[in-house]
Amino acid sequence: MMSIRLRLFILFTLFAGSTLLLALVSYQNFSLFREQRRQLEMSYIIRDEMIEPGLLKPDSIRHLQSYRARLLPERRAEEFVKVLQAVTGGNQRLLRERHQVFVRNEAEFTRVTREQLDFLEKRLLYYGSVSLVILALGFGLLQFFMHRAVIRPMGELSRKMVDFLHDRYTYQFSVPAADEIGHMQSTFNSLAQRVISNMEQLKTLDQAKSEFLSIASHELRTPLTSIKGSLSLLRSGVVGKMNDMAENLLSIAETETDRLIRLINDILDLAKIEARKLPLHPGWSSWNDLLKTSLDSLEGLARQAQVELITAEMPPLEVYIDRDRMQQVLTNLLSNAIKFSPQNGTVQVHCEINDKQELIIEVRDRGRGIAPEDQEVIFQKFRQASSSRHPLVKGTGLGLAIARALVEQHGGVIGVRSTSGVGSTFYYTIPEWRYGMAPLKQAEAA
Amino acid sequence: MRILLAEDDPNISIIAKLSLEKLGGFEVTAVNDGEQALAAALTQLYDLILLDEMMPKMNGLKVCQEYKSRCPAPRPVIFLSAKSQEADLREFTENGVGFISKPFDPTQLATQIEAILASAA
Repeated sequence: MMSIRLRLFILFTLFAGSTLLLALVSYQNFSLFREQRRQLEMSYIIRDEMIEPGLLKPDSIRHLQSYRARLLPERRAEEFVKVLQAVTGGNQRLLRERHQVFVRNEAEFTRVTREQLDFLEKRLLYYGSVSLVILALGFGLLQFFMHRAVIRPMGELSRKMVDFLHDRYTYQFSVPAADEIGHMQSTFNSLAQRVISNMEQLKTLDQAKSEFLSIASHELRTPLTSIKGSLSLLRSGVVGKMNDMAENLLSIAETETDRLIRLINDILDLAKIEARKLPLHPGWSSWNDLLKTSLDSLEGLARQAQVELITAEMPPLEVYIDRDRMQQVLTNLLSNAIKFSPQNGTVQVHCEINDKQELIIEVRDRGRGIAPEDQEVIFQKFRQASSSRHPLVKGTGLGLAIARALVEQHGGVIGVRSTSGVGSTFYYTIPEWRYGMAPLKQAEAA
Repeated sequence: MRILLAEDDPNISIIAKLSLEKLGGFEVTAVNDGEQALAAALTQLYDLILLDEMMPKMNGLKVCQEYKSRCPAPRPVIFLSAKSQEADLREFTENGVGFISKPFDPTQLATQIEAILASAA
């Protein structure tokens, strides 16, 4: 297939050529038509003036003579000259004869010319109609060509592009046409294939990363279990009583082992979340119960940090959630709040239904607050606020990243409002449908 | 009380044995794969069999099923497992008298075993 530009050029050349040819022929015919009509007019004028050749004045004769040069064909001009010579000669008989012949001839000429004019008129009309037909055909052809060669393939290409945008790669044409649009199609094809192979590569890399993480975490857990077990046996005194120094060393080893285990558990959780392999096990549970369990589990930490935990009574609420995971989120926020609270501070938990009908949980502390530039950073992996080097705080830097992932997996949002020096409020939401169906569940149970 | 402990990880095995002997006052025989566990359980008399779920040669569940089908008077079996899926846990309680989830706290192991045996009795 030729290129569209060449095809358009040929089409236009053909069109312009035929139009030009037609115009030329029409012009020729029109010139002929005009000439014949002039001769006819002249013939009428001359005959009018020569109705009585004997009465012609010298002025009129001179005027008539001026026509001679323009009379066609030559024979008519000769006849005309003869009549004029007879007029000037003054021979009345000859003049009458010549005049009669001239008038007859002119009558014959008029008749023939009229016929010719009729014929020319018809022919011009014919050429006009042919031009119109050619014009219409040309436009039709152009339209057809544009539709077939440009508009349809372009439409198809843009449809395929939209499909591709929606993750459906539907390109299946075997050999694209060897024109500009075909080139565009094959370029798009290569582009799409490259994008797909890049995406596959990315996916493989991502999977490899997640697999590596989970295998590595698993391999790390096994020896840690043994270390932890040995340490707690040592601590239990089964192998004999240890002195104070040994006890101190033992508690360092135990604390750090616990931290390492927490870190590995967090990494494993996050790897699973990121690989979308952390299944939620949702079920109906009492929010009040979850709240109480979370607060109870942190009682020890709060006492150690001399922080008071406050919560308001709330009406019973049933929610459809993965209870363990939601408790993990709340515990994480609470323990953060306790760790960052000053001595004799308070940590307040507040649950309510907000304007958007979501269940919103707020954990408020009276700590130092979080600088605005850190408020997004703290939700990222392995990141802690730059100012948070706190002796009590031995976090992994993964807690909030996991909390965010878990809240989002439940369809909610998590965030923080904070004023430096006044405190921070961490909040997260649980969408309406997770608790709104509670009456349905009760009906189901009944 | 005599206990047969089947655990492939030598470290865990040592820790569990030590914990059971020193803290629980039990007499523990340790083996490190499924086939040895089955052979020991069928030839010696124990009061309790502790089976790790993941073991080379024969896994814990298989050992338990074989043991129960071949021994006229089988002793109670408790599983040790890192699995936490409900379906797996149900299998443990159906085949044995209970399970202890890994990683276990060695200072609590003897107490846990006594609690399971008490609730099964």
